Amino acid sequence: MTQHTKQHSGSLFQGLVIFVLLAFLTAVEFFIAITNASVLLLSIAAIIKVGLVVYYYMHVYKLLEDDDEHDHSSFAWKLATNRLGLWLFLLSDAFVFGGMFVARFNLLGFTRPHLNQELGLIVTSALLVSSFFMNRGETQMALGDRKGFLISTSITFLLGLAFLLGVVFVEWPEAIHEGLTVDGSAAGGIFFLMTGMHAFHVLTGLIFLLVILRNGLRGLYSAEKHWAIEAAAVYWHFVDVVWIFYYPALYLIGKAL
Amino acid sequence: MTHPSSPSAGGSFSRALLFLLIGTLIGLALGIGLHTATSGGFASYYLLDIPSWMLGLLVGTLGFFYGLLGYYGIVRGLVFQVIGTLAGILLFSAIRAVMGLPFFDPAKFGFHEGAWVFGALVGAVSFLAGVGALTDWWKWAKGEPTHDHHEDIPGWRKYFGVSLDHKVIGIQYTITSLILLSVGGLFALLFRVELAESGLQFLTVLTPDQTAALNLYNSLMSLHGIVMIISILLGIAGVINYLVPLLIGAADMAFPRLNAFSFWVAVPAAVILLGSLGLGGFDTGWTGYAPLATRAPIGIQMFYLGVWVAGWSSILGALNLVATVLRMRARGMTAFRMPILVWASLATSIISLTATQLIGLSFQMSMFERLFGMPFFNVAKGGNPILFQHLFWFYSHPAVYVFVLPGLGVISELLPVFARKPLFGYKWVALSSIGIALVGFLVWAHHMFTSGMNEYLRVPFMYSTLLVAVPTGVKFFSWVATLWKGKIEAPTPMLFVLGGIVVFLMGGLSGPPNATVSTDLHLHDTYFIVGHFHSTMFGGYIFPFFAAIYYWFPKATGKRLDETLGKWHFWLMTPSFLVLTLFMMRVGLLGMRRRIADYDPMLGFDPWHLAMTIAAFLIALSVLIFFYNMVKTLRSPVMETGNIWNSRSPEWQVPSPMPAHNYEKEFEVVGEPYDYGLPGSTYVKM
Repeated sequence: MTQHTKQHSGSLFQGLVIFVLLAFLTAVEFFIAITNASVLLLSIAAIIKVGLVVYYYMHVYKLLEDDDEHDHSSFAWKLATNRLGLWLFLLSDAFVFGGMFVARFNLLGFTRPHLNQELGLIVTSALLVSSFFMNRGETQMALGDRKGFLISTSITFLLGLAFLLGVVFVEWPEAIHEGLTVDGSAAGGIFFLMTGMHAFHVLTGLIFLLVILRNGLRGLYSAEKHWAIEAAAVYWHFVDVVWIFYYPALYLIGKAL
Repeated sequence: MTHPSSPSAGGSFSRALLFLLIGTLIGLALGIGLHTATSGGFASYYLLDIPSWMLGLLVGTLGFFYGLLGYYGIVRGLVFQVIGTLAGILLFSAIRAVMGLPFFDPAKFGFHEGAWVFGALVGAVSFLAGVGALTDWWKWAKGEPTHDHHEDIPGWRKYFGVSLDHKVIGIQYTITSLILLSVGGLFALLFRVELAESGLQFLTVLTPDQTAALNLYNSLMSLHGIVMIISILLGIAGVINYLVPLLIGAADMAFPRLNAFSFWVAVPAAVILLGSLGLGGFDTGWTGYAPLATRAPIGIQMFYLGVWVAGWSSILGALNLVATVLRMRARGMTAFRMPILVWASLATSIISLTATQLIGLSFQMSMFERLFGMPFFNVAKGGNPILFQHLFWFYSHPAVYVFVLPGLGVISELLPVFARKPLFGYKWVALSSIGIALVGFLVWAHHMFTSGMNEYLRVPFMYSTLLVAVPTGVKFFSWVATLWKGKIEAPTPMLFVLGGIVVFLMGGLSGPPNATVSTDLHLHDTYFIVGHFHSTMFGGYIFPFFAAIYYWFPKATGKRLDETLGKWHFWLMTPSFLVLTLFMMRVGLLGMRRRIADYDPMLGFDPWHLAMTIAAFLIALSVLIFFYNMVKTLRSPVMETGNIWNSRSPEWQVPSPMPAHNYEKEFEVVGEPYDYGLPGSTYVKM
């Protein structure tokens, strides 16, 4: 029992440490942007953040875990195969986001649209905190704490919803009000394309979260068998990873137009 | 065609008539309702309104087919697709009406462009729901259990609905591919007739005026390109799906439901794509370049959307294949004991999985530019049309490696069987596929030497493109060395393999002049490119694809295709194709522009074009012979169940046709795959 509690607090503590690091790095990014706006430093900060999320929140190393399972109908084999499939999908999806990222620099170079900085930081923080709670929820389920999982995932859902509504119903109208329209300039086009495609992924992630919340409420998951939760969590973190690149690309890098 | 069990399976004639009646009434009511809503009041003569009756009959006919043949997944899917499309269009237009915008748009085929796009998208999703490709996932989301293996209906009916068996899906892919091959070929024949003589004389017969004839020419030419590309993607997916699990000793693909989804999503995509003909077609060629695309008829949206949807078939199929190869190989099958076709499929899938997203993105951006006015490619508003070309070619060049790598894999797979000798340089051939795939990511801008992109990009892209010749050369040396002093037998599959090598060599050798900047500036957009491209596609895909069908048809059906007809097919197609491609290259070198409906008679190309048209018809005839051969063989009672090619590969060590769950017991790989002719060597222990 004590062993269990120790492990419990250990993995939850790790999630908290990673979150503090991510929050710190985000603050550093913002500081870089308002002082010398070095693209190199911003890129380094973003890459460190992505590395932390991919390793500690998305557990990419699990892909390399050697399973000696040859029975293709066993849960262990299916879990490892599903994991591989999900990561391949994310790799594919990353190319869409990468394409838009490249298109943004092709069209705008080192200039950026004029946007509301406070709002950008707020929605970014909401997504970042949601990733913390997602990780916490997944860890809690892995430790058998169903109630904790439900609470953490609900908080994730609410924060994700706040992000989505913040982007679509606050940030977009404000950008349009400031003159950054959908059809006025290529800058407007690429801004709405990037944030719109990302928001679409947040929306699908929210639907995924609703599915695992509903099935979690009905007690379909256990500490040993909760692939759907793991998948939803990895997908959710992936959406966060995309934003880790998109936030500096849209809000911080370059000279404001 | 009455089937004894039809009524119990849910369809009957009386039901069909009932559905016809109900459907007609619904459609009629909808039409009259719309008429009333848009004109502000009801009048009794609306009851005789012709458009409403047409809508009624359309919905009624759908109901009729649904009632009669609704137990076939594909009929359900198509009925759902039409209804979904209609519903999407009406919903979108209704929302517009609520917002105070006009419901109808007479200038654009009745409805707003957004309504057509939205409708087509809803139609595609409806197809998938109707056919049943989403059922199990819906159950998973609800937390309900599903069966791991579900048994298929015996007989040929299983091919018309969702099956999770990779062999059934492989055949579904192949048949769909052959249908699209015929459609795309038909388009080619139509515009080839127009090109047979300078001036406009054939398409003008089919259309009211010259502008319409030119539009039709452009649409046929563009659709020929893209329909063939989708056909090729489905064809390689068919070969890969059917064979790879058998070759690596797996019971199925890693994700059987995703596999079924990947196939079925391609069907509505093809329907949408062909639907573009009904919406004005499109005049951009299959490349869909902006800014021309932003001024094209609505047909271009159906083209973009069709390719976008078909892209998911390619991406998800590739995902499945990579997972299958990495996770499901038989015991003892280390990386360097995998058959070459498996290596080639893996290389192909790496490209499909990742790069396909970029053509999807470029098409999506162009769609959005038309729909929302997002000026990505509009220079006046800070956009950049070259960006479209970069995104487009980032997929569309590697795509040609997607098309040819499995074909080249088939060549390497069959050559040792018929030369009775080990494959020369196995490891090099295996890695050359991966090499081509990886170098393929770095060459895209060689399509853009004349586009006005930054000049410093030209030379690096020239060298990276020429680099592709190295791994491709490795394959050729391996083939030649494998044939060297072999005891060569030449049944039909081997003929197609040899033909493929020759034709692909011509395609390969005509490539470097296009990759070299100085010559490409002259050759760009000429028929030389068309000749080069068709050589690579025939050599790298068409010939090996037919070789694969002749070779594995007995495995799939237990019946062997007729040799005499097969030889007719080969000996008719090969010289015709050589004439076609060499003449294309010749007129191209002399200045014949590609993508045009007419040319100056003073150029003296008339006889050459006439010969090309005749050659094209002979190729079509040879393919008809092939279709006849398939039908004839399937109807014949003669069975060939043994290892008829004397192959070492595991799938030939069990009787044909392949049992439903593949191998009864897992086999173990104990030796090298291609050690033909070496006494005492074994590959698999069954």
